[in-house]
Amino acid sequence: MQMKKFLNDPKNVVRELLEGYVLAYPDKVKLSGAGTVVRAAPKASGKVRLVTIGGSGHEPGLSGFVGKGMLDVSVAGEIFAAPGAPKCVDALREACKEGSGALLIVLNHGGDVLSANIAMEMVQRENLPVKMVLTEEDISGPVGDRRGLVGCVAVYKVAGAAAELGASLDACAEIAHRMASNMRTLAVAVRTATHPATGQPIFHLGDDEMEIGMGQHGEAGTGRMKLKSADETAEIMLEKLLEDLGAKEGDELLVLLNGAGATTLMELFLIFRRVAQLLEIKKIKLVRSRIGEFITTQEQAGFQMMIARMDEELIRLWDEPADAPFFARP
Amino acid sequence: MKECISRTELGRMFADAAQLIRNQNEILSQLDSQCGDGDHGTTMMRAMEVLEDAIGSSPIDRDLSETLRQAGWSVMGADGGASSALLGSFITGMGDTELGGAVDCAALAKCLATGLQSVQKRTKARPGDKTMMDALVPAVETFGAAAASGKSISEAMNDAAAAAEAGAASTKSLVARHGRAKYLGEKTLGYADAGATSMALLFRGFSVALAAVKES
Repeated sequence: MQMKKFLNDPKNVVRELLEGYVLAYPDKVKLSGAGTVVRAAPKASGKVRLVTIGGSGHEPGLSGFVGKGMLDVSVAGEIFAAPGAPKCVDALREACKEGSGALLIVLNHGGDVLSANIAMEMVQRENLPVKMVLTEEDISGPVGDRRGLVGCVAVYKVAGAAAELGASLDACAEIAHRMASNMRTLAVAVRTATHPATGQPIFHLGDDEMEIGMGQHGEAGTGRMKLKSADETAEIMLEKLLEDLGAKEGDELLVLLNGAGATTLMELFLIFRRVAQLLEIKKIKLVRSRIGEFITTQEQAGFQMMIARMDEELIRLWDEPADAPFFARP
Repeated sequence: MKECISRTELGRMFADAAQLIRNQNEILSQLDSQCGDGDHGTTMMRAMEVLEDAIGSSPIDRDLSETLRQAGWSVMGADGGASSALLGSFITGMGDTELGGAVDCAALAKCLATGLQSVQKRTKARPGDKTMMDALVPAVETFGAAAASGKSISEAMNDAAAAAEAGAASTKSLVARHGRAKYLGEKTLGYADAGATSMALLFRGFSVALAAVKES
């Protein structure tokens, strides 16, 4: 597949995209040093800061969720590559200056975890109040070795709301953990993306195939099969997710559908329709939902389906106001 | 007199390694695209440029341990994901050995060993998992054995580079068990691991530099 993108020098793509992003939302976000996005107006001092880290090329993830009620800081890396530990250390130090502590939310990917662990060692040596929460909800891998996918957005939302309301670092970390351990995600891909720096496809998939379990960077999944209908795909994926979560009648679920970049909203609505029908048949309550592009992989076609078991407090925090450029609630 | 290297030779080692990786960057990216997202060449090229600059621009009289620690931290800041975090850990770890202003063969062996320990602290990958460790571990161990047997620095580094190359070549017949590539399982057979290949280039670059130093 030939790459066809509007680019300048690929070397500068991350700097340029972040500059464009903050110029587009100057009332909400700004750059703090190269590659670090912070709120234009910091939250009141004394409140816990939420910090996340992750590679670029997944726009609007992750910096699109910096804003009131969500993240305070997003440390962006190069395309599909974790930011280095020094930038993470700087961001955590800065967050602790104004806040009563910092909660570092990390998606389970090799490079991100490496940088986060190195950074955590550094800030702990300085006795800074920082806690780390890892999101690892991709059920295509075995427990203990699961990637962090779109579920991080739900963690940003509920922990961000708790922090905004003045919760302590321990309380914010507990909320984040609770959300993270009650969510499950599965991804499906139908067409590859090209890497903006190399111009090459990041994986290969036959014209008539789809792959369930595909990661955010073209990491292979386990379920390569002939392309199925929207209803069949929704059914296959939801069944796996419900089983893994151990969802039962009466449970209250949040469902997120995350387009990978080139899958239309039309398709996502078809998928969602079937998900809602199936939940109703199973007498599982669909209490909250969101459909959109949260974490993309360039022009990859496919989507991630995330379900999460919610309790009263998580729903209440989910309903709190948020005002990030790519996630708002009145 | 005991054979030693100082900041000048250290600078040449990293400059030559950076040059080799620059020359091979497309091949590294191609290997990576078999099992990963295809950016290993560009990532390593950027990381090596940072490393070359950090060492080349450090004051000539600075303690070499300090030079390596700072250079390693700079590489981690190069945003190269896992590759630069691990390469950075290797270099900062080399700086954990107290070196002073010059290094003999035994001290360099110790320095490479503390570098390796630092990487091992960060990753669960071990030789056989089809990662950079398949080249790095034999390179460091071979250098140590060559140093202990009384070989010169350049001979020991040549042995280490050969061991790294053999290790990298051996990854062709391995199935990935670590990193993003592990999700591909048997599909990774037949391709050398990009990380192991770049480690082999690093040690070959060191060896080329030290051979040239010896010549002159």
